[in-house]
Amino acid sequence: MGSVLLAGLLLAGWRVLNGGYQYQGSLIDPPAPAADFTLRDQNGEIFRLSDQKGKVVLIFFGYTNCPDVCPITLTDFKRIKDELGDLAAEVRFVLITVDPERDTVERLRNYLPSYDPSFYGLTGERAQLERVWQSYGVYQAQLEDGSEAGYEVEHTARIYAIDTQGNWRLTYPFEMDRKAVIEDVRHLLKEN
Amino acid sequence: MKAEYRPYLKRLLITLILSLVIVGAINEGFYLLQKEKTDRAPKTVQLVIPKGTAERVAAGEPVPSLPEAMVFVVGDVLEVKNEDVVQHQLGPIWVPAGSTGRLALETADKHSYSCSFSLSRYLGVDVRQATTLGTRLTALGIAAPTMTVFLFIYGLLAFPIQPREKSKSLELSAEGEDE
Repeated sequence: MGSVLLAGLLLAGWRVLNGGYQYQGSLIDPPAPAADFTLRDQNGEIFRLSDQKGKVVLIFFGYTNCPDVCPITLTDFKRIKDELGDLAAEVRFVLITVDPERDTVERLRNYLPSYDPSFYGLTGERAQLERVWQSYGVYQAQLEDGSEAGYEVEHTARIYAIDTQGNWRLTYPFEMDRKAVIEDVRHLLKEN
Repeated sequence: MKAEYRPYLKRLLITLILSLVIVGAINEGFYLLQKEKTDRAPKTVQLVIPKGTAERVAAGEPVPSLPEAMVFVVGDVLEVKNEDVVQHQLGPIWVPAGSTGRLALETADKHSYSCSFSLSRYLGVDVRQATTLGTRLTALGIAAPTMTVFLFIYGLLAFPIQPREKSKSLELSAEGEDE
């Protein structure tokens, strides 16, 4: 009886402590199950979103030839990872390509270590990726720019945070305050 | 405290009270004249995307009850409830079908957000700093001491404290010491 009462008090206290937190990203409430996908990472291994339960997954859609938005976001990912310290082991940082023709497994393998070798770079067949883009509301369009690379890709620059239960929970606009993302991720992990 | 300073202190106190009354009256007067709907405490503002919105937008039909521009107060929470069968987005808020997206508006700014449920594909979002009792009291706290100093100095120049008053004060204090 005493232990039940103690557990009840602890639960109530935990709720009071957590109830005050206001997420700083755009919150999806109630949490919606994130669309599952299976793609190949930079090592040629299968990456399935549903296998990542228990981790917070930060997903960004971009491409390796990107001149501005993607390098900035990946640099932010790196800083977030560094500032999370030991907790970073509980977070997956994922780049899903919007340019499958150029972003091969090899290209991603060479590109990502300049940011962090633990980041995941995912690619696949265009048809596979189109399903993922559609599920995540990602806009992408190739724009001929006359450069050597041939074209640029205009794309959604939002970051998606998937919670430890595999739900869409938060989204962040491009260049969202890093500290806010870190606090939110810490809180998502605490909820687990 | 030395008796010779007392008239100055008394005048300073009167000037402070006068300044508070004048500044308070001016503040409240202008506040009442310029008061806007956004001069309120922060709250949650809900925007509902009805079922069939995506179809209406695709067909070029206007979306009912959706304003072209929206005005908020810093601290408001913009809540987008998606009752449609497809996902929608309003700038940084992305909402899967059947869910709700929330965003706390923390800074005063004007935005033109891309919007999937507006016919023009854009929605103006204006976030303003609200004038609340707290901000009015802050203004009073900043302006009243400054006004006090100006009035006090002006008072000393225009209506100097008479030497007679000073000597009288000194005499009184001397008498007090004798006793």
